[in-house]
Amino acid sequence: MKIIFLLFSSFFLLSACDKYSDSKLAEGYSSLSAPKLINAENKPGGDTTVSIKPFVSFQLPAANLDNNLRPTFHAGKALANQPWVKAPTITTARDGLGPIYNARTCLSCHIKGGKGFIPTDNKTPLTSTLVRLSLLPSFSTLTKEEQATAIKKSGNIDHPVYGDQIQSQSISLAHQLRHSQKPGRIKHDVAPEAYIHINWIEKTFIYPDQHQVTLRAPEIDFQYLGYGSLGKGTVFSLRVAPMIHGMGLISLISEHDILALSDEQDENQDGISGRPNYVWDAGKQTTAMGRFGLKANKPTLDMIVAGAFANDLGINNPLAPNQPCTALQASCSNIANGNDENGFELPADLLQLVVNFNRDLAPVQRRNSHDKNVLAGRELFYQVGCNQCHNPRFTTQKSSVSAHLSEQIIWPYSDFLLHDMGPDLADGRADFLASGNEWRTPPLWGVGLLSQVNGMATLLHDGRARTVEEAILWHGGEAELAKNRFIVLEKKDRERLIAFVNSL
Amino acid sequence: MKFIKLAACITSASLLIACGGESSSNNSTPAPAINIEKAQLVLNTNADIALAAYTDSVDTAKVLKTALTALKETPSTETLTAAKKAWLVAREPYGQTEVYRFRNSPVDALDVEGDLNAWPLGEALIDYVNTGNDGDDFDNDQIGVTEHGLGEDISAVIDVTNASTQAANTNTIIGNTDIVINDALLAKGLTADDEHDVISGYHAIEFLLWGQDLNTEDQSTTDGTDRDDAVNTTAAGGQRPLTDFTTDLHADRRHHFLEVVVNKLIADLEAVQAEWAKNDTANYRAQFTSIVDAADAKQKLTEILTGMGTLSEGELAGERMQIAFSSNSQEDEHSCFSDNTHRDIWLNAEGVSNSFYGSYAGYDSDLDGIDDVTTNAVDGYGIDEYLTEVGLEGIAVATSAALTLTETNYKLIDTSAREGSPFDVLIMNATETSPVALTIKSLNAQSRLIQSAANQLGLGTVVEADASDCNTETPTAGC
Repeated sequence: MKIIFLLFSSFFLLSACDKYSDSKLAEGYSSLSAPKLINAENKPGGDTTVSIKPFVSFQLPAANLDNNLRPTFHAGKALANQPWVKAPTITTARDGLGPIYNARTCLSCHIKGGKGFIPTDNKTPLTSTLVRLSLLPSFSTLTKEEQATAIKKSGNIDHPVYGDQIQSQSISLAHQLRHSQKPGRIKHDVAPEAYIHINWIEKTFIYPDQHQVTLRAPEIDFQYLGYGSLGKGTVFSLRVAPMIHGMGLISLISEHDILALSDEQDENQDGISGRPNYVWDAGKQTTAMGRFGLKANKPTLDMIVAGAFANDLGINNPLAPNQPCTALQASCSNIANGNDENGFELPADLLQLVVNFNRDLAPVQRRNSHDKNVLAGRELFYQVGCNQCHNPRFTTQKSSVSAHLSEQIIWPYSDFLLHDMGPDLADGRADFLASGNEWRTPPLWGVGLLSQVNGMATLLHDGRARTVEEAILWHGGEAELAKNRFIVLEKKDRERLIAFVNSL
Repeated sequence: MKFIKLAACITSASLLIACGGESSSNNSTPAPAINIEKAQLVLNTNADIALAAYTDSVDTAKVLKTALTALKETPSTETLTAAKKAWLVAREPYGQTEVYRFRNSPVDALDVEGDLNAWPLGEALIDYVNTGNDGDDFDNDQIGVTEHGLGEDISAVIDVTNASTQAANTNTIIGNTDIVINDALLAKGLTADDEHDVISGYHAIEFLLWGQDLNTEDQSTTDGTDRDDAVNTTAAGGQRPLTDFTTDLHADRRHHFLEVVVNKLIADLEAVQAEWAKNDTANYRAQFTSIVDAADAKQKLTEILTGMGTLSEGELAGERMQIAFSSNSQEDEHSCFSDNTHRDIWLNAEGVSNSFYGSYAGYDSDLDGIDDVTTNAVDGYGIDEYLTEVGLEGIAVATSAALTLTETNYKLIDTSAREGSPFDVLIMNATETSPVALTIKSLNAQSRLIQSAANQLGLGTVVEADASDCNTETPTAGC
C-alpha cells in the first residue's frame, strides 16, 4: 500500500528475512516487511506509558502527568468509578441514575478500564454489553426533512419507542431487587426496556492445514420488552464496551495524518478502502471527522463521554441534555431526576473532569518485545498486511493544554478509519456515513493484557472473539485478503503473529 | 461469577510506578539488592497489623450488633444514641484497614469491599428521603418520590408526623411490605457489581441510624472535645426521629433491616480476618509471608507500597476529598449521615503510617481521639527500618516527615469537626489554606515520596522474563 510505504520508508530493512521466507504466503501477499524494531515500540503511549508492576492496570494516569493534574484525575475517576444512584439522595452530585440505564458507573462496563463482559450462556442478561437500535428510513413516519435532520445530528433514525439504545436496567425497586424477590410481587414504576440474553451460534473453522477452531456468533434474544413490541424495520447492533486508555493521545493525532491513510476509491487497488466518518459535534454545532466509537461516530472525547453518560447511565449533561426516555415512555419521563439548578445531573465542570480522566488514562508498556517468536510474529504482521489498517505508529500534535500528551510517538495500531469488514461482522445499522458493513479499525494496544486486567478477553465489537486468533478469523471484506494470507501460514507462524499482537 | 472475582483481584492497582524501564535508567545510583531476611520482617509485621485491625473491626462490629439488638428491644433515645456511638467506634479500626485495599489482598480478592463500605449509598432505595424545596436536588423537580419534606425551607427538619403512613413510601425497601428483608436481599445475584444501588455495609447502617443530614449552614457547636455530645444532639449528622424506631408503621422493618445488614457486615469482616489468621497453611497470609525468591519479595513489597500510595493519592486525596471540592456538593462525603468524615480521613491516613512504621496502636473506644483499646496493638518491623537497613535512610526520613505533615493537617480537620464545623461545612469554604486543601496537598506529597521509595528500592524495574539474546537494533539478524 503506497501511503503506508511512504510513512515507513525510512525504517525499512533492505535485507529480506531469510528465516521465514519458507512460509507459504498466499498470492498477492504484501510486499512489505517490518521496519526496524526501535525501542520506542516498547512504550506504546510514549512518555505516558505505565508499567505492569505490581499489577496490570488500564486505569492509571499517564506516567508523565504533571503532579498538579493528578488530584483532578482522581476526582474525575471518582465520577467514573463510584456508583451513581437513584435520585434523590443527600449526595446530590452523585444521583440521577437512569431512570432507565445500562450501567451505574462508567467502569462497570469498561471493567477496570478494559473491555466489557458478555455472558457465555443464555442464563445471564447483558449488563456491560448493550444493544443499539434504529429504524430503517423506509419504516419511519418522519418526513424526509425530519429524517435528514435526525441523521445529521444523531447518525440514524431513533426507534420511536425505544430510542437508539436498549437500556436494560431501571431504578425501579422491582428491577433492583429482582434476584431476591418473587417475580411480580413488586410493580415497576419505570420498567427496564428489555432483558437481553445471548444465544451463541457455534461454527467450526478449518484451516488449510486441517487445524480446527470453534467460532461463536451472538444471536440477540429479547426475553422481556418493557414497552411493547419492536415492530418492523428495526435494526440492532450488539456492542461490548471497548478499552478506554490512550484516548487523549488519539485525540491529538492530526486529522491530516488520518486522512493520509484513507483511500476511499482504493486507487492503489490493494482491496482496502479506508474512509473517515463525518459526524455531529454538539459542542461546536457542526459536522466533524469522527475518530472515537466503534463506527467512528464521535468526533471528540467530550462527545463520547457525554453521550455515554446520557445513554448508558441516564445522566444528562450540557452536551447530551436529554434523559434516555422517549416521548412514548411517560413513566420514564415523569420520575424523579437528579437535576441541578441548571437542569443537568452532571454539570459542565464535572463532565470535564471525567473527560480529562479519560484523556489521561495511560497505555501500558509492551511485554516480551525481544522474544524470538514475538519478533518473528512482528515480521509476519507486516508481511500479511495487518498494518495496512492496524497502522502502528503516529506522532501526536503539539499541545499546550496537555503537555504530557504533546508530540509523543505512539503505537495504537489503528488507522481510525472505517472499513467494510464483510457480511459476517456486519450489523446492518448505519451510523452517519458508516454503512451496516463498516467498522472503525480498533486500536490493538493493550489487547494482550485484557484478560489480566479484568478476566475477560471479549474481542471485536460484540465480544464474540475470545482470542486474537478468533478475531482474525472473523475478518472479511477489505480484510479478506490479509486473512487469507494468515490462514495459509504454518501453524507455528500463525502462533508467532498472534504472540506479537498479544505483546502490544 | 468467576470473572468478577478475578476482576476484583486486580484492583485499581498501582499509582506507584511509572514506566519501569525509564525509572531504572534514570537512576544514577543502582537500587540496593533486596534483603530477603529483612523483607520477611516487613511482610510479617504487615500481616500482623492486618490481622489486628481486622480482628478489632470484627469485635467492634459485634458490639454494634449488640447495640442494635438493644435498640430493637428497648427503643429509646438512650439506646439509639448507644447504637450511633457503637457505629462510630466500629469505624475506628476499620478505617485503619483500608490501606490493605488496592493490592490484591483479601478485602478485594474476596469481593467484599463493596458490600462493606461502598458509597454513595442508594438511600432512596432503602427508606424515605426528603424531597423538599431546598434548591438543587431537593427542588420541585423531584416528582413522584416520597414526600417527607415540609415544602418550605426545610433547613434541618423532616416531617415526622407522616413518616411512613402515606402511600408514597411504597417505593422503598422499608416502606414496601411486599419486599422480604432477608440475606438474599443483600446478596449479589448473577449481575454482581451491577446488581442494585448500594444497600449494605457500614453506610446502610449509618443511614438507618442517623437519616439524611439536611444541614446547610454552620451548625450549633458542641464543647469541642466530647463526641458523645455530638452524637446526642441533632446538631451533627442526620435527623432521623426516634419514632422511626418506635411508633412508625415500619419501625419493625427498620430493626429487621439493621439486623440483616449487621449480620452480613460481621460475616464479611470475619471472612477477611480468616485470610490473615496465623497458623493456617492455606490462607492468604501463608502465601503472602512466604518469600519464594528475590522477585517475589520485590513483588510483595511493591504490593504494600501500592496500597499505601493508592490510598493516599487516588482514593483518599482524590476520589474522596478532591471530588468534594470539585463537585461543590456539600454532602459529597464518605460518612455523610453521621458527619464522621473527619475520622475516615484520619483513620485512612493513619493506616498508611501504620504500614510505614510497622505499628498499630489499637483504636479509640470512647471517641476522644486517643487509642485506648490496645489489646491487639502491634509494634513490629516497618518499611522505615527496611529502608534504613538497605542504605536508603534519606528517603525514609523524607517520607516520615511527609507523613507527619499529613498528620498535622488531618488533625486540623478533626479539631474543626469536634468544634462544630465538620467536613461538609469545611468544604463549603474551600480555600487554599483550609485544612481540607492542606490535607489533600500533603497526601499527594506523601504519595510521591512513597513512589520515590519504591523507585529507589528498584521495585519499578520490570524484569523482561523472556528477554532473549537478540540484537535489539537488528532483531531479524541472528534471532
